[in-house]
Amino acid sequence: MKFCVCIKQVPDVTAPIQIRDGALSMDAGRVVLNAYDASAVEEALILTDGTDGEVDVVLIGPEKATETIRKALAMGAGRGTHLVIPEGTELDSGAVSHILSRNFEGHTYDVILTGKQAQDTDAGLVGGMLAERLGLPYATNAVGLAIEGDQLVVTRQGDTGQEIIALPTPCLVTCSNDMNNPRIPNLKGVMGAKKKPVDSTPLAEIPRSTIRVLSYEPLPSRAPGRFIEGEPAEQVAELVGLLELS
Amino acid sequence: MSTILTYVAIQNGSPSRASLEVLSHARQLAQAGSGVCAAVVLAPGASGVANELARYGAQKVFAVNHPAFSRHLNTPVVAGLEAAIAQARPSLLVFPSSEGVKDVLGALAVRTGAAVLPDVASFVVKDGGVEALRPVMAAKFMARTRAEGDLVLVSVRSGSYEASEAPTETTVEEVAFSMDESTLRQTLREIVGSTAGAVDLVDAQVVVAAGRGVKDEVGKQLVEELASVLGAAIGSSRAVVESGMFAATAQIGQTGKVVSPDLYIGVGISGAIQHVAGMSNSRTIVAINTNPDAPIFDVATYGIVGDLYKVLPILIEEIKKKAVVVA
Repeated sequence: MKFCVCIKQVPDVTAPIQIRDGALSMDAGRVVLNAYDASAVEEALILTDGTDGEVDVVLIGPEKATETIRKALAMGAGRGTHLVIPEGTELDSGAVSHILSRNFEGHTYDVILTGKQAQDTDAGLVGGMLAERLGLPYATNAVGLAIEGDQLVVTRQGDTGQEIIALPTPCLVTCSNDMNNPRIPNLKGVMGAKKKPVDSTPLAEIPRSTIRVLSYEPLPSRAPGRFIEGEPAEQVAELVGLLELS
Repeated sequence: MSTILTYVAIQNGSPSRASLEVLSHARQLAQAGSGVCAAVVLAPGASGVANELARYGAQKVFAVNHPAFSRHLNTPVVAGLEAAIAQARPSLLVFPSSEGVKDVLGALAVRTGAAVLPDVASFVVKDGGVEALRPVMAAKFMARTRAEGDLVLVSVRSGSYEASEAPTETTVEEVAFSMDESTLRQTLREIVGSTAGAVDLVDAQVVVAAGRGVKDEVGKQLVEELASVLGAAIGSSRAVVESGMFAATAQIGQTGKVVSPDLYIGVGISGAIQHVAGMSNSRTIVAINTNPDAPIFDVATYGIVGDLYKVLPILIEEIKKKAVVVA
């Protein structure tokens, strides 16, 4: 089967990030492959391993985001497409899905994968939007994937259990990071990635975004709590008393 | 007059608590803007819950009655909501955020040309648009985000608003809906590890959550016993879901469920920010952890630095003696 994984370069959310005048300030400037997308790449590689299947990746981002495509290629993907936008361009999920849907015109992928959300916006909309624009059946929040003939069997984490859904191909699936542990590229992979093809195209037209971030704010804090001291029996007695009162 | 429509999810035959929270907030917004507060229900026998929704202020209930909605599949839900939107013509459609809602929100937005604000902690109608606070960057910050459009979709994290009653007269409008199986293009084969029927984690009034400090079967049994004597639902951190000790449906956090019980007891949970994002709306938070520097204590109402294997057996016995703990 032929897979294409939509990937995104995101700020490393584990790096120090501050708010300055309502904007995020990431001095370290550390950027990474979105963790959910890494799981999607990993799953595509697992499913095509030992077959004549292919794994391509596509990314929308500024010039410097090429390094994130190289990361996916170093993991084992075969070919990258980089849709280049000017540094600092803000796109909402609608605009991203619009650009991606145009990119998929004329392609014949069996399966399009995305991460279930991006670590920076945590919106989780692009997958469903893209499927709708392309008229594809889809499933979200997948924790397992299997190929059965020309069908894709998706295990998705639902509200009350794991739903097992069979989709015909072509289809689209968004992936949870609970699906697998993405491989760390080895030196051979990193060296090989440099020779793999990346088709880089500046976007001529950037669709309008309807969602705007006005400012970033710290999380609301809770009223300070207190420790209950003493031996376990004393702690429990005091706690039970406090809970009865509150 | 504009209509604010609330999507009401049905759980074990009744509206979910998270739906009633959202409906209560939508009612207040409708009143403030002289609009109509309406609800949409997708379920077999959807009109049966109209009276309960009227108690929370739904002046109209759009009922999409169809057996296709007895189990979740995105294709019928998107089509059902599309039909309800065409009939109700809302300016705002509000959802309680859940995995089921996350599964349809993007596709529905494209289908209906709506602007969409997912997973918000709060929102207001302002200057002809909707402004929301959304946790972003793995829940480290809030983004104040604005959407404009003839139709705006908003999904709200559970516990963001209080459910409050405001009884009103209601009318039920049936929404015509048919589903051709051949156009479904997806088959739900089975649901495994289903927790349907049990105390639902998101709706629970009391939650006992287990973390890495729960190391073995003995610890797990203590957690289960504490939950049992409190009538609580069991939640967990990601670590003990990954280790296989707890089901994935129990995971609380930015990528799991958002809980907001009256009482949350974190047992052996360090309180990584991704977990805290899923429980910080709880009214009273009790944390039991051996490490006094664990970040869970930053959000805890009451902190007990101690060994859960020593504290829990005593706590279970004390609660049994009291028979009732009022949280």
